[in-house]
Formats: sequence, C-alpha cells, structure tokens
Amino acid sequence: MPVTDVELSHAAEAGTSPSVLVADKLNRRLSESASVNDISFSLARGDVLGLLGLNGAGKSTTLRMLCGVLVPDSGSVSVKGLSMEDHPLVAREHIGYLPDQPPLYNDMRVSEYLKLAGQIRGLKATKLRSRQTAITEQCDLGDVQHKLIGTLSKGFRQRVGLAQALIHEPAVVLLDEPSNGLDPQQMEGMRRLISDIAQSQAIIFSTHLLSEAKAICNRIAIIHAGRLVADRPADGTDLELIFHGATS
Amino acid sequence: MIRVVARHECASLLRNAQTWIMAAIMAALFGYLFLKQLEAFITVQGQLATQDHPTGLSGFMAVRYLEPLSLAFTLVAPLFAMRSFSEEFRQHTYALWQSSPVSTRALVVGKFLGVLSVLSLLVLLAAGMLLIMRVFIPIDLLLTLSATFGLLLCAAACASCGLFFSSLTQHSLIAIVASLSLLLISWMLGSANFGTLPLQALQDLSIAVHLRGFFQGYIQTRDIAFFTLMMTLFLGLTIIRLDALRQTGR
Repeated sequence: MPVTDVELSHAAEAGTSPSVLVADKLNRRLSESASVNDISFSLARGDVLGLLGLNGAGKSTTLRMLCGVLVPDSGSVSVKGLSMEDHPLVAREHIGYLPDQPPLYNDMRVSEYLKLAGQIRGLKATKLRSRQTAITEQCDLGDVQHKLIGTLSKGFRQRVGLAQALIHEPAVVLLDEPSNGLDPQQMEGMRRLISDIAQSQAIIFSTHLLSEAKAICNRIAIIHAGRLVADRPADGTDLELIFHGATS
Repeated sequence: MIRVVARHECASLLRNAQTWIMAAIMAALFGYLFLKQLEAFITVQGQLATQDHPTGLSGFMAVRYLEPLSLAFTLVAPLFAMRSFSEEFRQHTYALWQSSPVSTRALVVGKFLGVLSVLSLLVLLAAGMLLIMRVFIPIDLLLTLSATFGLLLCAAACASCGLFFSSLTQHSLIAIVASLSLLLISWMLGSANFGTLPLQALQDLSIAVHLRGFFQGYIQTRDIAFFTLMMTLFLGLTIIRLDALRQTGR
C-alpha cells in the first residue's frame, strides 16, 4: 500500500517515521570487476544518508538502481510503498536525482530548464510557477536565472542540477557526489543547501570523503567492492576505522 | 507529457544553428527547383496543349518539382532527428528523462512529433510555393494536397528511421550515416530491375515506389500503410532500445 504524505507526517510526529525508501537485497553485475551485491537499507523522512566509498565501489550504480535508471538483477526498491518494478512512473514521481554529471542543456536558460524539469515531473502551471520561484530562491539562482546554462560556473551548474532534482518536492533526493569539483566555498554552499532540504526530505548523498559525509549526514553507509560494510549514525566512533580498514 | 517532450524537442531544434542552416539550404533548393520547373512548364506548355489529355501546371509541378523534393526530405529528415537521442547521451542529459516519470513511449513519440513539427514547416514551405500561384491561376488543389501529404509521410517515416539510429549511439555522425544508408538502399530498391518474382517483392520496400501515387494524385491505402508501418516499426524499435538501456546500463 502506498504511504501518503499525511501518514508520513503523522508517523513523524509520533516519532515512528515509516520508511520512504526501502532497498532490499539489490544486486547488479555490470562487468567482471564491477558489481553491487546484496545492498539493503531503508530511509525515513529527515534522514541524510552518506553513501561513502572509493571510486568504483558501487555508489553510483546503487543510486541509479534506487532512482529507476538501472534495473537491478535481483532485489527490489520501493518509494513511499510503491514498488519501482511494478509502478515505475509513480515511484519516480517521488524521487529527485542529481547524477555525478548534472543533466543540463547548455543552450537553455536556467529558468527555461527549471520549467521543463517541473513539467516533466507533472507540476501544473500554478504550482510550477510557485515552485520555480521557491527553488530559485532556495538554490540562490536569482542572479543567473536568465543566463544560458552553458555560460555558468561549475558551482552554479551544480546548483541548477540540484534545483531540477528538488523542484517537484520529492520525498527522496539522491545526490551523486554533488560537491565533486567544487572549490571550498562552493562546497560549503552546497552543504548548507543540503542541510536546508534535509528538514523535509530523505536524502542519500554519495561521496568518497569521510569528513564530508560526517559534516552533512546523520547516517553513514560504507560501501566497498559493491558490498555494504557498515551502516551507522554519523557520529559513530568506529566509522573511520571501518572505512580505512575496508579501503586499505 | 507527450506535448511537453514535443515542445522541448521542437524548441531545442529551433535553438540550434544547424537547423537554420539546413532549412536555408532546403529553402534555396525549393526556390531553385520551383523556378526551374516553372520555366520548363512555360517552354513546353504549347506542346502539352496538343495532347489528348494535357498535363496542367499542378500535375507538371507535382511530378517535376515536389516529387524530387521527396529525395531531399529523405536525406534531411534523419539529419533533423540525428541529435534527438545521441546528443542526450553525449551530453549526459538522458538521465533527466530516465529518472523522471515520463514513459519511454511518451518520450519517443514526443521527440518524434517535435522533429516532425519542424519538418512540417519545411514541407509547407515547399508546397506553399506552388499554392501561392493560386492567386494568379487555377491550381488543382487536391493533387497538390495529395503530393504534400506524400512528402509529409515520407519525411515522417525517414525521421522515425533517424530517431531509431540516434538511439543506438552517442555519435550523431554514425547515426546519420547508418540511417542514410538504409534509406538510400530503400530508394534504390525502387529503381532496381529484379527479374524473378521473389526478388520483385523487394520493390515493395522502396520508399520511391510507394510515393509515386501521391504525386499523381491518387492516394492508395497500401502506400499509407507502408509509411505508417515504417514509422511504427522504427518508433517501436526505438522504445525497445531505450527500455533495454535500463537493463544493460550502457
């Protein structure tokens, strides 16, 4: 049975947040050397899960399976109680995804792009206008909203990518290394933005930096060679040991 | 959702300089061919008048002006469609569609309609040159509309072929070479001389053979069915290919 927003709010008030995202024994083999094995976890509203691992550990593959871009060989994903296999279109309505390379059209203006992102997520005209205004403000895109995306700096491009993932107020936001290639100031801005949106949404944030994960997330899952080796609160003292143990 | 995708595709084509360059070349070709054939008609008008059933201006122009343009549209339609998916793969923007609640069918049909709407403007421009003569002399409207319909079907079928090949690769050039090769083979089948009966059936796969009737003013169900099947086949294959991307991941 799909979980409604009202049920989620009631559960959150009662301190029994039901899961908005459940991944159950996800398996995916991409090549001889790259695969994801038996990944399981669940996420409630307000959770910010850091998916931590080295390059090639399987973070992006896991995120792609969670948002329906890639079909798992076995296992299942459900979003707000909706199975990604049985109801892919409805389930994807509740997901916002920012891949490692933001899906941006260089020849579009920021405002046009956000409008398109909202339209393909099914937002009606009035709602779209209000969300566009809100997300432009939230992601601090006001000064560049009439500029061509191709002319923007890396930091702004990343913000536009994030804005498209958030415009429809999804229950789950999946961010694949969103701070990659940003300078320290831009990275700080991105962290603040993620902390802002974490109030009302569940977030999975992939990174290969433990310090970054600790700074942003309230839960950290370490993934190594396609396997989940730890899933702990971000203040866990053994995280560093596990991460270095797994990766050395 | 199809309308949103179609509008985006159309706008994206119109933002691209290549589209305008191709449109300008096509417009120049229309103008040159139109004036050349009009002049030819004026030259042979006297001889035509002595025939039992003289060909009028509409009949002459449909065969001598609009019919050759179908080959031009066969070459140009895949050029308009070639960027549809290959460019999305190359620029990594396809993830936006894959992660959004847009079905593959809506995406493919939307992109096809977007490309077709731009091609339709060119078809209308080509037919418009002939129709504008209606101000000065009587024109066989039904014959002109039949020829225009044929051109439009040809452009649509070739665009669907281009769309399919564009979904196979991120290199637009490979997509265009592959689709043009297939379409030109289809054209050549029409002029090849096959002796034996089973091979003669290959002529039924020719675009040229199925277009002929439209320019002579008779629209046959089998010709419409040919182009409709061609579109359905290529759009269907594109949907299968894009759905398979979720399985293969590449």
